[in-house]
Amino acid sequence: MTITGIFRAVITFAVLVLLHFTLRPLLGWRAPIDFLLLAVLTAAVRVRPAGAVLIGFTVGLVADSLSPDTLGAGALAMIFVAYLASWLKAVFFADSLPLNAMFFFAGKWLFDIVYFIAEHRLSGIDLVQQLVLWSPLSAAATALAGVLFLIVTRPFLEPAPG
Amino acid sequence: MARLGRSNNRIDSTVLVICAVLSLIALVLPTQVREPIASGLRRSILAPLLRLQQSAEETRRALTMHDSVVSRRDSIALREMGVGALETENARLREILGLGSRLKWGFVPAEALHGRGVRDEFGVTLSAGSRAGVLKLSPVVAPEGLVGVVDNVDPMISHAMVWTHPDFRVSAMSEDASAFGIVQPHLESGAGRYLMEMRGVPFRTSIKPGTMVVSSGLGGVYPRGIPIGRVIGETKTAETWARTYLIRPAVFPADVYAVMILRPDRATAGVDNVWAVGTIADSSVRKVVAAGDSLARTAALAEATARQAVQDSITRDSLRRAGVPEQSIVPPDSLARVRRPILRRDSVRVDTTHRDTSRRAPARRDSVPVPHNP
Repeated sequence: MTITGIFRAVITFAVLVLLHFTLRPLLGWRAPIDFLLLAVLTAAVRVRPAGAVLIGFTVGLVADSLSPDTLGAGALAMIFVAYLASWLKAVFFADSLPLNAMFFFAGKWLFDIVYFIAEHRLSGIDLVQQLVLWSPLSAAATALAGVLFLIVTRPFLEPAPG
Repeated sequence: MARLGRSNNRIDSTVLVICAVLSLIALVLPTQVREPIASGLRRSILAPLLRLQQSAEETRRALTMHDSVVSRRDSIALREMGVGALETENARLREILGLGSRLKWGFVPAEALHGRGVRDEFGVTLSAGSRAGVLKLSPVVAPEGLVGVVDNVDPMISHAMVWTHPDFRVSAMSEDASAFGIVQPHLESGAGRYLMEMRGVPFRTSIKPGTMVVSSGLGGVYPRGIPIGRVIGETKTAETWARTYLIRPAVFPADVYAVMILRPDRATAGVDNVWAVGTIADSSVRKVVAAGDSLARTAALAEATARQAVQDSITRDSLRRAGVPEQSIVPPDSLARVRRPILRRDSVRVDTTHRDTSRRAPARRDSVPVPHNP
């Protein structure tokens, strides 16, 4: 990856993080868009699995600091998703937007599954409701936002031919 | 190449395991250890982002509440428009209550229902009729003074001719009863239309501007003492044998919405003290002040007399010790009689009547005695 590519990736990452703390609370949806996960996924597919794991761990731990009772749960979920995303980058992030959407959807759902199980806050029917109803909805919203973001930023992220 | 790939895979796996273990350790950390870590992250890396989130949430809250805030503001504005009228009405009702408590008996409270026709400025409809005890020619009054007189009575409502009516007349006098006359509306176009004039005041009598004019009680319709208005000044008329005064009315009928209708027995009994509360209070205050001054003067006089007696006694002792014959010493009461006229009642100043002045020795025992010359 060139210096310009790294710079672009960092800018993309920063924009997604900013969107997580500005657009997400502004929308206030019950099934929110996880821009942090999108940031980690877009970064993870551009680095080796070890780098993706470190990015995921850092972002997850920082996000967990907002809820100290579950410190580590988000980090744990994020490193698994980032590691898998980095491994599967050859499959996904082709030019196919539906594949990318599925990638985002699966990543978010997997994240939620690991996160809610690890944090031990929900149990029984509440956990099932969260993982079967709200998490897929949130994953769908995240996937949609991720695809829109890719469409908007594709000219910026892909280097000009020649 | 393959070795490098395997090495990288091992590194990836190692990092994954390490991070996973660290995450699990963070999950099981005790609260007192976990909280400082989270707090440090919140204060450092997350601080600017949390400020952004706070702004975003406030923006969202403002957007969500915008409609309700606007509707609430509109409701408050709508209510606020009526507050002035409510305050005015409240003040009027309080005044009416005050008038009612002063009248005590013999009146019928009523609402004055104003019409908006051309001739409606000469009369008002009252919300009480003969069933409430209202009779024709009953005086209609407001807390400020005279409004008019009932000229038509129905069972439920009645109609009153207010003082602006061209036929309205009331026998009146100045507040000190030094001048009498007949008050009627000042029939003139323009602003003067809403003034009164007091006609037939004897030429030898003059009334100062600002003097209150009240009903005189003559004629049997209006009891004595209802305020009518204040004298603005004399006006010239064709009647050269009597004076005519312009009067600013105490009551503007258009502003009156609650009135009292005096029943005939109450009108006969009189309303002397109803509108004179301020005067009575003022005179009471003056009496109290005067009584206080009188007491102070009396006390000062008594103290001065006592002081004089002490001084006389001291002088008499000194004379005895000096060998002056007893018969040549003037008795203290005669001395006092001689000296007392010097002490005029008016000459006693308040600041000389301190309690401790009697304790001061006015003359030492060894002071030079004043021998008496028979």
